[in-house]
Amino acid sequence: MKVKRFLEKLVEGALLISGSVTSITILLIVLFLFKEAAGLFNSPVIEEGYVLAMNKSNPVKKLTSYQIKEIFDAEITNWDEIGGKEEPIEVVRLSDLTKYYTEEELGAEFENIPAKASELTAKHPGIILFLPEQYVAKNFDGTLLKHEKLQPGDFFGGNEWYPTASPSAQYGLLPLLLGTIWVSLGAILLSLPFGIAVAVYLAEIAKMRVRNVLKPLIELLAGIPSVVYGFFGLVVIVPFLQQTFLLPVGETALAGSIVLGIMALPTIITVAEDAMRNVPRSTKEASLALGATQWQTIYRVIIPYSKSGITSAAVLGIGRAIGETMAVLMVTGNAAVIPHTLLEPVRTIPATIAAELGEAPVGSGHYQALFALGCVLFLITMIISISIEFIGKKKY
Amino acid sequence: MLTIDAKNVDFYYSDFHALKNINLEVEQNKVVAFIGPSGCGKSTFLRILNRMNDLIDGTRLTGSVLIEGEDIYAPGVYVDELRKKVGMVFQKPNPFPKSIFENVAYGLRVNGIKDNTFIEERVIESIKSAALWDEVKDKLKKSAFALSGGQQQRLCIARALAISPKVLLMDEPASALDPISTAKIEELIYELKKDYTIVIVTHNMQQASRVSDKTAYFYLGELIEYDATTRIFTNPKEISTQNYITGRFG
Repeated sequence: MKVKRFLEKLVEGALLISGSVTSITILLIVLFLFKEAAGLFNSPVIEEGYVLAMNKSNPVKKLTSYQIKEIFDAEITNWDEIGGKEEPIEVVRLSDLTKYYTEEELGAEFENIPAKASELTAKHPGIILFLPEQYVAKNFDGTLLKHEKLQPGDFFGGNEWYPTASPSAQYGLLPLLLGTIWVSLGAILLSLPFGIAVAVYLAEIAKMRVRNVLKPLIELLAGIPSVVYGFFGLVVIVPFLQQTFLLPVGETALAGSIVLGIMALPTIITVAEDAMRNVPRSTKEASLALGATQWQTIYRVIIPYSKSGITSAAVLGIGRAIGETMAVLMVTGNAAVIPHTLLEPVRTIPATIAAELGEAPVGSGHYQALFALGCVLFLITMIISISIEFIGKKKY
Repeated sequence: MLTIDAKNVDFYYSDFHALKNINLEVEQNKVVAFIGPSGCGKSTFLRILNRMNDLIDGTRLTGSVLIEGEDIYAPGVYVDELRKKVGMVFQKPNPFPKSIFENVAYGLRVNGIKDNTFIEERVIESIKSAALWDEVKDKLKKSAFALSGGQQQRLCIARALAISPKVLLMDEPASALDPISTAKIEELIYELKKDYTIVIVTHNMQQASRVSDKTAYFYLGELIEYDATTRIFTNPKEISTQNYITGRFG
């Protein structure tokens, strides 16, 4: 008797441990994700080990990451565009120093660079000089932009994703977020009507025998690896879209939407069908007994009754679509630009993380920006799961 | 003309022979009670009268069932048209997850009636006929689930009455209700018989004797005896009927 009790306690303890280990692991992963991401807002705007120098008389003392990029891309050419004096901007990189000084003046070992750089900055009122920290003289005659931190606005409001840009990498979330939303929205718009139609057919119309064949087949769709879907998309859907819409490339948001739509179908069908089969038989019979036809019963009783289940199906489908990586990576073209139509290449958040994490140096701004993307994705899917709980609890 | 006329009805659930050679006639504006132990086929027979059994796969019927002279199992009969003529009230109250008003209006709406004044009149009339008006007149827009079980059941009766059926089928309509609600339903049946022909399945012998004009006793898929209720309960011809109504089995 005592042994039995002891064993039961032991099993109980083992269950408790496995439960808490799981929860702690998940918490740790989330914590890790956010910890790494938080570093992004501590990382400098300017490439590590470099400074930007300007003439002392220049009233502009601060530049955002985006402004720096625009200046070096020659999109902004005058200081008055960013709140300075009317003065053309003169962009000078280290290699450009040879235009102003001869190699002899710079010294055989470049030992004179610090002095010359200081002199050049002092002489040119419109200069912006991009210089390695080691060449900054002790008594540098100019303003140094050095310790600027990346602002949350640069990430959440930035509309360019260009992590390798120099001197200031661009970590704008918007093109990736919009890419994700466009692809997922397209996917759900394609798969929801289709999925609900199939669910209605399976739950209400199909004969038992047909259902017994179709249901496992549809569930089989859920088991196909996503890379196979991507392969299918790349070989079939992408060329098809290219020919149909006469596009320069077929790898577009629409291709991603179609592939994701197919992938989300099994989830939507299964969940919606279960909800419809949960409509009490008596309610269905009540409708039929009042002279309603089968179709009237479906759209007046069964669909309203299973509304919350159908909504869960839609939300689960979106959840699947938003987090999907491989298939999307293969068919959407991966251009990190803000999309204007479904027929343009886009890049989604998961695809970006998968494609870039391997080449981002650990601890760099790029690396942290990818983690921040992960956080955004996590928050989106968390909101989705919470809304499922909320919808599920509400009864008509 | 007979309201219900069933001739040589045999009914099968796949291989199971559920009803054997049933012959039964019901006259207009009468209340007929079906009694018998569980599994005797009385509910099955009731559901034959509005073809509710069609919903179950693998069922089969031979013989003929005429309602107001029309064979309801003839090819070309629209089941939804039949069910407008033959209303049904179920064992458990099964209102829709809609307002009280919309529950009663449902049958009218699915029949393509768009005239809202007519719908409103008909709904009020039906709720009054179901003796529910005084209890719900102030909360027609409230959910039907806010009502008690007995009120819900009368709402289901009102819902069935709204489409003016000729026949009203009741499958143990009071079995899930308390005695007071049951008494109200029985009173209602008495009132409704003026306008409708009613077939009621019941397990409650007293109920059968109180509400019905004729009683049919089913046993093991056969119609053992069908006669005036007073006769069945005082002087049945068959020994099996007597055993059942005196409570020796069942």
